[in-house]
Amino acid sequence: MCGIAGIVFKDRKVHPVGKYMTRMLKALQHRGADSAGFAIYGGLNLKEHEYILNIEIEENPGLLEEVKTKVNTVFPIESEEIIPSVENSIIYRCKIVLASFSQLKPLIMCVDEIEGVTVLNGGHSFEMIKDVGLVKDIAARYNTEEKMGTHAIGHIRFSTESIVDRYHAHPFQSYIIPDITVVHNGQITNYWKIRESLERKGHIFETDNDTECIVHYIADKLSQDYSLEESLEQSVIDMDGPFSYIIGTPNGVGIAKDKLGLRPGVMVENDELFAIASEEVALQEIIDTTNIEQISPGETRAYTI
Amino acid sequence: MKEIKINAADKKPREVNRAVKQAAKENDRIIIENPNSTHYLLAGLTEPVDVVIDGSAGYFAATMIHGARVHINGNAGWFPGDNMTQGEVIVDGSAGDGVGQGIYNGTVVVKKDVGSRTGEIMKNGTVIIGGNSGFMSGRYMMGGQLIILGDISDDAGESMIRGTIYVGGKIKSLGKNAMIEELDEDEIKKLKTILNNYEFTLTEEDYQKFQKIVPRSDRPFYGKDSEEG
Repeated sequence: MCGIAGIVFKDRKVHPVGKYMTRMLKALQHRGADSAGFAIYGGLNLKEHEYILNIEIEENPGLLEEVKTKVNTVFPIESEEIIPSVENSIIYRCKIVLASFSQLKPLIMCVDEIEGVTVLNGGHSFEMIKDVGLVKDIAARYNTEEKMGTHAIGHIRFSTESIVDRYHAHPFQSYIIPDITVVHNGQITNYWKIRESLERKGHIFETDNDTECIVHYIADKLSQDYSLEESLEQSVIDMDGPFSYIIGTPNGVGIAKDKLGLRPGVMVENDELFAIASEEVALQEIIDTTNIEQISPGETRAYTI
Repeated sequence: MKEIKINAADKKPREVNRAVKQAAKENDRIIIENPNSTHYLLAGLTEPVDVVIDGSAGYFAATMIHGARVHINGNAGWFPGDNMTQGEVIVDGSAGDGVGQGIYNGTVVVKKDVGSRTGEIMKNGTVIIGGNSGFMSGRYMMGGQLIILGDISDDAGESMIRGTIYVGGKIKSLGKNAMIEELDEDEIKKLKTILNNYEFTLTEEDYQKFQKIVPRSDRPFYGKDSEEG
């Protein structure tokens, strides 16, 4: 089933968006219990060319040091943090400085070659938090309620086809352009058709998961100077199947819903906030209103700051 | 009149519904406080009791009820009144997809806009929408009447077999096996009676704008016309 949510503070200032998104996701918990995730934008305050890597490392002797050595050989590690162990693995979070964004994907692929190591993501303007289990546990483990930012997207997963692990938890990220993420509820039934056209352009897929396909598709469109709204509208034309998904970019969020309207989506807006979710129950957590709008079949909505 | 309040905060749908079922034996009116858009509220309630949901309800509100009169002060999610057999569901706000899906009898009223597939596979009864209704409203409708005061979106009456859709606003496009007919004066009188009953205020001009959507054939997919039921 899955639950999705997005929120933007319209004043472009930093707010406790982590607390808001945590409340929204807890309200959607009944839509799935496999994993949950956040992409929280605008609160990291990294300098130009600084990036945060989130790396899952199995608790084998020497493996953490091997990862550090491999990263340090190419780009010096400026700071680091270890998220406590769960199920025989840790999350190693480090800050590095690249010469350009184009170096990020090759670095991730290089680190991924180490057995027992998976790079969950690398980001500059957003913080990715995703893990298996319930929102309340993940929120406590990663202090999501303390996270500040301008906007965020989030996800509750009820797994259908793909395996349940940290990497397959949403959000998914594309490295075609910087800092683009997606959370998704549904299936893309013409997945291979969409994927093949993107692979012919040289874009690299790490999984056979249809959610990864969406984020590369939108990133590809944005890289061709489509606006977020135009990218979402074109995706509704090109993609088949039941879906609603939310895109996060450094400047905002947007939702697209399939042509037949087979997956839910509602939104609410006031002077302060723009918020979207699978169900009203998530919106009521952050705005006290009954003025809820249904997203229509084939409709898209976006808000950029 | 005997009345009781049930606080739904921190209760699971099954706990709320059990409390309502128990309270309905000894009360005429039940108010559910803090519904918090919970799914499945009042599912399977068969007692003829008045229930007020004081806020918004989630998916399948009042599904399969028989005889209860339900008033939702806020909004409803997908499928309010689903498969109900008797009674009344009134939503003061908006609602999601599939309002009145598959109802056998009774009335579902939503005062504002609703999502898609309103009244799909309804067999009888009445569904009234005060605002606009979305894509494929009246899909596979098999009886009853669907009354939309606002606009109806694409593929209205898709594959409908029986029943009637009355539309006060614009019809964006018709689905397969659906066609538009004019209303006669008796039907306009009938609409006035029904809509006045639910406090919809329309002018004579508004009533004259109503169109109705009906099926072209009772056997649109296979079989001979002579076999139409």
